[in-house]
Amino acid sequence: MTARLRELFAHRGLIENLVLRDLKVRYKNSVLGFLWSLLNPLLLMAVFTVVFTVMLPNLSIPKFPVFVMCALLPWNFFNTSVMSAINSVVYNGHLIKTVYFPREVLPISTVLSGFVNFLLALPVLLLLIIVFHVPITVWMLYLPLIMIVQVAFTIGISLILATLNVFYRDTSHIMEVVMQAWFFLTPIFYTVDLLPESKTVWGIVLPVRRLIYILNPMASIIASYRSILYGFSNGSPPAAPAFDFFSRTIITSLVCLVLGYAVFIRHSHSFGEEV
Amino acid sequence: MPAIDVAHVSKRFFLQPDRPRSFQELLVGVFKYKPRSSTKETLWALRDLTFAVGTGETLGIIGSNGSGKSTCLKLLTHILEPTIGRISVQGRVSALLELGAGFHPELTGRENIFLHGSVLGLSRREMASRLDDIVTFAELERFIDVPVKLYSSGMYVRLAFATAINVSPDVLLIDEVLAVGDQNFQEKCLERIHAIKARGVTIVFVSHSLDAIRSMCDRTIWLDKGVMREDGLTDVVIAQYLRYVHEKEEREAIAEQESRHKAQRASTRDNEEVTPGGKEAVGDSQTPDHSEEPDDADPMARYRNRWGSREAEIVDVSFLDREGQAHLLFATGEPMTIVMHYRASKRMERPMFGLAIHRSDGLQINGPNNNFSKFEIPYISGEGEVRYKIDVLPLLEGTYYLTVALYDEGGSHAYDHQALNYVFKVHRGDIRERYGTVYVPATWEHLPYHGGSEKSDSL
Repeated sequence: MTARLRELFAHRGLIENLVLRDLKVRYKNSVLGFLWSLLNPLLLMAVFTVVFTVMLPNLSIPKFPVFVMCALLPWNFFNTSVMSAINSVVYNGHLIKTVYFPREVLPISTVLSGFVNFLLALPVLLLLIIVFHVPITVWMLYLPLIMIVQVAFTIGISLILATLNVFYRDTSHIMEVVMQAWFFLTPIFYTVDLLPESKTVWGIVLPVRRLIYILNPMASIIASYRSILYGFSNGSPPAAPAFDFFSRTIITSLVCLVLGYAVFIRHSHSFGEEV
Repeated sequence: MPAIDVAHVSKRFFLQPDRPRSFQELLVGVFKYKPRSSTKETLWALRDLTFAVGTGETLGIIGSNGSGKSTCLKLLTHILEPTIGRISVQGRVSALLELGAGFHPELTGRENIFLHGSVLGLSRREMASRLDDIVTFAELERFIDVPVKLYSSGMYVRLAFATAINVSPDVLLIDEVLAVGDQNFQEKCLERIHAIKARGVTIVFVSHSLDAIRSMCDRTIWLDKGVMREDGLTDVVIAQYLRYVHEKEEREAIAEQESRHKAQRASTRDNEEVTPGGKEAVGDSQTPDHSEEPDDADPMARYRNRWGSREAEIVDVSFLDREGQAHLLFATGEPMTIVMHYRASKRMERPMFGLAIHRSDGLQINGPNNNFSKFEIPYISGEGEVRYKIDVLPLLEGTYYLTVALYDEGGSHAYDHQALNYVFKVHRGDIRERYGTVYVPATWEHLPYHGGSEKSDSL
């Protein structure tokens, strides 16, 4: 394991180059360049704002565009990274069959290039925060830490799914549906407060609100972003995420990362024959 | 510690993976009856391979198609993992398995150089110091900032080779890649590989070109169907390999000859049953005897033909070497004797024996007969043989077809004419010439017009 990690470290230049390649290829052939990556969340934000403040006004969340945007950008990062990382190994089959390098470089660099896009879109969010007079607090300094937690979680998930996709090629099709469901199960355009505290199904009491966070690390991550950037839907200003809540999120993400890496290196030796 | 250490390595491939390739198949498979025995057809591409390559050594790997050469290289690069056994390779490995493997079409040549360098674990700074060398070697100064999707295939190959050899590898693995590119660039590549070799880099070189192996490798291993047949000095191993290949070719030629003649005898018998005695009665009417259906394996089958009145016939032809042993495989420059065994049903005055050698595409190379040579055969009666002796076989490597014919004195009436009915093969012997069809014995001279005159002979 340590030898593998050292090998991965020796190939950091490759990760850097693959990220650059991704970004260059993505923006080279479009006139608007990286503006596209800003336009997409902005348009989605506009749609959600229209739907939930004009068409369904009873939600009454203040400064709704900021509320949605600080969840939408992390979610977009997660979604696009995972969906392209799933295919990163299979699509680079010609590379895998002809050159040796640590294979985990492929999903990792895909996630990191998604991360760079996320960073490039952040100024838009900052602009919205200023425009809507959301108070800027010191808690914003939590931002890098939350980002690292999300990157770790995203890489972990991507490593597992990329491995699975090598052996079962319809993983990516299934994941399209799963990601759609995941989007709706994550409090992005709604708040957890809107959910019932608990629900009884067949005599079993399900703590719905707690389950959303326990079973869905993305819900915790997004709640953390929202907590430090936007505050709370009752109008209270940004605050640090609760300690126990946040440390549990960190642990979940790290476990996911280690698990994903272990699964990946356990199977990557046979990629040369399977892709 | 050797640079490459391969210990008891075997590699198995599954030809028909019985594993479901998708969740859909996985789900269907649960409900489907599956016979247990029909699964898993396997191929052992390599079996119990053991060798070591010392630092700075150049190892050649030879063997026919499917012998496991490429699998062996892929195992050395870690692209494939051995099923059994252990492989260790020390230092940075650069492999020329497939040129331009890691290139991205949308990126420029320069960007691809950096990308490829980082695939091999080189930093941006290290690659930057090599950039000029690579660009100069690839002769791409004007195009280095153009996306490689706009490159011609030649430019692509040059860039790939230049990149791969300029990453200062400790171990360089080369698979049959020099077959691409123009002659000029190939020579330049070989030159550069020689320079890398001189620098003490360990090289493993897989090629079908025995000349390339001979010029490059000190030591060679010969793989045959995944098993190591020989491991030793290049010249010795190549000689053994060639002997094996030639013996195999000869066996194939003999088998081909036999099956053809069997078919011919069978069809001749059929003809005789249909028209008993007919041939002797009608002297001048030549009865063509298309003995076989043309088959794809033998390009000359279409032209093969036998006719004649058969009062006298050539019953067999054999090819003798220096010692009088019958063979079907000869080396350029060796003596060869063509023996025509005849049988005459009655006394024939002054018959004419002739033959012709054809190249495998049908081109006739010669066409002697004993009249041209003013060699008179007074008569034939019963059985005997006529020999055509070649002291120095002037044919270069290839497959040749032989026509033999027995005519009357004037050459107008065919007793037996067998067009392209026999085959023999020639391989390169001590004479190294290989371009063209014939070997013309000659000498070289060099007379400079200034300074002293020097005379040199070769061949």
